Amino acid sequence: MTDSSSVDATLRALLADVLGLGEDRAAALTGDSGLFGELPEFDSMAVATVLTEMEDRLGIIIDDDEIDGEIFETYGNLLAFSLRKVTG
Amino acid sequence: MSEYRLRIDPAGTPRATILIAPPLFEEANRTRRTLVLAMRALAAEGFAAVLPDLPGQNESLVPLVEVDLVRWQDAFAAVASGIDGPTIIASFRGGALIDHRARAAAWWRLAPVGGGSLLRTLIRARVSADREAGVTSSLESLQDEARTAPLLLAGNRLSPAMIAQLGASEAQAAEPLRSIGLGADGIAGTPLWLRAEPSEDATMAGAIAADIAAWSKTCGIN
Repeated sequence: MTDSSSVDATLRALLADVLGLGEDRAAALTGDSGLFGELPEFDSMAVATVLTEMEDRLGIIIDDDEIDGEIFETYGNLLAFSLRKVTG
Repeated sequence: MSEYRLRIDPAGTPRATILIAPPLFEEANRTRRTLVLAMRALAAEGFAAVLPDLPGQNESLVPLVEVDLVRWQDAFAAVASGIDGPTIIASFRGGALIDHRARAAAWWRLAPVGGGSLLRTLIRARVSADREAGVTSSLESLQDEARTAPLLLAGNRLSPAMIAQLGASEAQAAEPLRSIGLGADGIAGTPLWLRAEPSEDATMAGAIAADIAAWSKTCGIN
């Protein structure tokens, strides 16, 4: 799971599952698409669910020191964070 | 104290009773409607289906802070022992953490999850809510706090015993057991238990009922 396109696909599927986006909306997410604060479904419980699912599906451990508001600002930020974790 | 339970009966004598161990905490709300649709589909196949409230959940009068996993296992075993005829336990997600001490002819589990994973999500929701409120907390600080006092996690006031048991808990062996996930080798559908806003899936409910009915037959329960 180090290929960036597979991380991207995993992340889109995960957001579709947690936020109920449906495949079309998940596929339409771009780097600039807003998440927390933009999508009404993305509340603090959804943030928590996304983090735990990222750990399970990407095989990473996320320390809460690493989490700041910026990571969930846009899809691009979340993808960049995930890629750093997976390759780091 | 007796807890509320939802029971759907088939026309005529049931072939067997499907006793459902529901997902825990918020995941139970997100899946309830689909579970009940699966129960109706099971009744159409000739099974009785029972969905009990766990003490401290749903309509229970017991304060959640007074219960822990051991009490849930006891309560679930007590419901199973009150059922006449063959019983098949169908557990969903965290329900698999409380189903192994009940007496049954067979077990069926969908997407069983470790208690540690459920607890991590609950604590993270609290950290995230704290951050929005301008309070600094962390997984470690909250887990330390939970050793001596109850902790309010995403609306659930959990005792130190519950938090300790949950953190260490994994699904236990049961025999005969069919344990499956979502996808090609399991049930076609999406993980509704993760969904921020509750949804329902009648097709998935039908697939769940069909798989449980097939497993019943495999186990020689007709």
